[in-house]
Amino acid sequence: MNFIWDGVKQAFELIFEGNGDVFHVVLVTLHVAIGATLLALLAGLPLGLACGLGRFRGRRVLLALLNAGLGLPPVVVGLIVALFLFRGAPLGGLEWIYTLNGVILAQAILALPIVGAFTATAVDAVPRALFDQARALGASRPQLATLALREARVGVIGATIAAFGSALSEVGAVVLVGGNIHGQTQTLASAVLTEVSAGEYGTAIAFGLLLLGLVALCGGMLTVFQYAGEERGRRGLLPGWRAS
Amino acid sequence: MTADQHRVLEARGLTVRRRGAEVLRGVDLELRRAEVTAILGPNGAGKSTLLAALAGLLPRAAGSLECHGRLASAGQTAALARRPVLANVELALAWWGVPRGERRGRALRALAALGAEGLAGRGATTLSGGEARRVHLARVLAVEPDVMLLDEPFAGLDPSVRSELLYAVADVLRDPHRATCLVVHDRAEAWALADRVVVLLDGRVAASGAPGEVLERPPTPEVARFLGFDGELTDADGLRLLRPGHVALDPAGPLTARVTRRVLVEDAVRLELELPGGRLSCHAPLPGPAVGEEVRLRVADGARFAGARPTRF
Repeated sequence: MNFIWDGVKQAFELIFEGNGDVFHVVLVTLHVAIGATLLALLAGLPLGLACGLGRFRGRRVLLALLNAGLGLPPVVVGLIVALFLFRGAPLGGLEWIYTLNGVILAQAILALPIVGAFTATAVDAVPRALFDQARALGASRPQLATLALREARVGVIGATIAAFGSALSEVGAVVLVGGNIHGQTQTLASAVLTEVSAGEYGTAIAFGLLLLGLVALCGGMLTVFQYAGEERGRRGLLPGWRAS
Repeated sequence: MTADQHRVLEARGLTVRRRGAEVLRGVDLELRRAEVTAILGPNGAGKSTLLAALAGLLPRAAGSLECHGRLASAGQTAALARRPVLANVELALAWWGVPRGERRGRALRALAALGAEGLAGRGATTLSGGEARRVHLARVLAVEPDVMLLDEPFAGLDPSVRSELLYAVADVLRDPHRATCLVVHDRAEAWALADRVVVLLDGRVAASGAPGEVLERPPTPEVARFLGFDGELTDADGLRLLRPGHVALDPAGPLTARVTRRVLVEDAVRLELELPGGRLSCHAPLPGPAVGEEVRLRVADGARFAGARPTRF
């Protein structure tokens, strides 16, 4: 037990003495997580909206693929992305292997099914009569998509939280595509792995605590945002409105 | 303005198939400005399908549809977005393409027209069924369409809320620049709101005309039965169908009938009567005759159908 306690003490010392290396790893982790989540939202929201709103041939196949994608093994995705990014490979010209861009790409691929599948489920749960009514009143496709995202916002932000959490914590693809290079592509999760391998448990616990704190902080902030409009809806008030 | 200028929507031979089955069969319908048309029919007659086809929400298998103006429809479900009432109406105006600056005023006017201005600041999720219906209707009213289609605007409401809303919309629906068509389930609603009723039976227009005209002279026995002509008498001239209002208990009446059933209805009793050549029903003040008792009757003409056969014997 002393061993763990010493590790925790060392962790707090590292965190509170303002160690530049530690904070660089935090910044890299946030960079990767934000970049990957934004990319996943960019591709996943249209896919989720199409599956949730549309009634086209192949919709179920697309939904099945998105749902299956929730179980994608990060190591396999990392391996495939690395194989595509190596010099001489189809995407080798990008020179993204062992770079943050490569890591962001791999993490985005892992987060994409999370955003797509959860968005589709959330949009599908919105009463269809509302969309029919919107169409009957002349709503365009972008207006329908906006309505769907807004009505399903709790689920969509939930999908964003899950995607962001996955991008923060994942390690397999980061190591394979980014090479886990200290000061460059090393994230908090991959740093824990490195430190444990080196027997530096105090540093590993410090990185672990920071990662947990980051997950809790970001998840909490997004949850506040997720339910910000809901409370007003429950109380049923239009901001600034006074009945005459 | 000529009749042609008044005509804003015209359907000819409208046929719609759903899952391979013909739900509408060659429907002809005209909607005119300043006129309220009620579509009546039993369940499964194709009323909602007709409205959806007129709105262009369902593909036509055959027939033509011509609309001179913009059309807005309100579905059977009062589906509102999870935002305040006023924002819901403004959202409908945004979908319709109304400039941002005009939306608030028009939304408030539409809510006020339906007596719902007090709901403007409330969240849509906090509304009762009747309130949600008012907002649902206000949303379509606000866009000021040339043709307004309403699918069962009073569905799912309890009787008191229903009559309150009916009273609220009766004047609002009538507009000199707009044609209004509504599907109603209740004949009394059609009579209260419409200038013209269209009876749809089995996907076809079975009757069309002014409410009084259709009620007094139903063109077929099927239409008459649907309109509540549940009494039947056969004589040498053929079949005669009568509504309870056509039959009155009268000790000096020419007919004699036996009471077969009594059902209490609010402040009266509904009697089912059996007599030679048919069966009738009528309303009598309480307490009314007992089951098995013989009564004397006086009956009005009702609707006569030469050559038609009775169905209830």
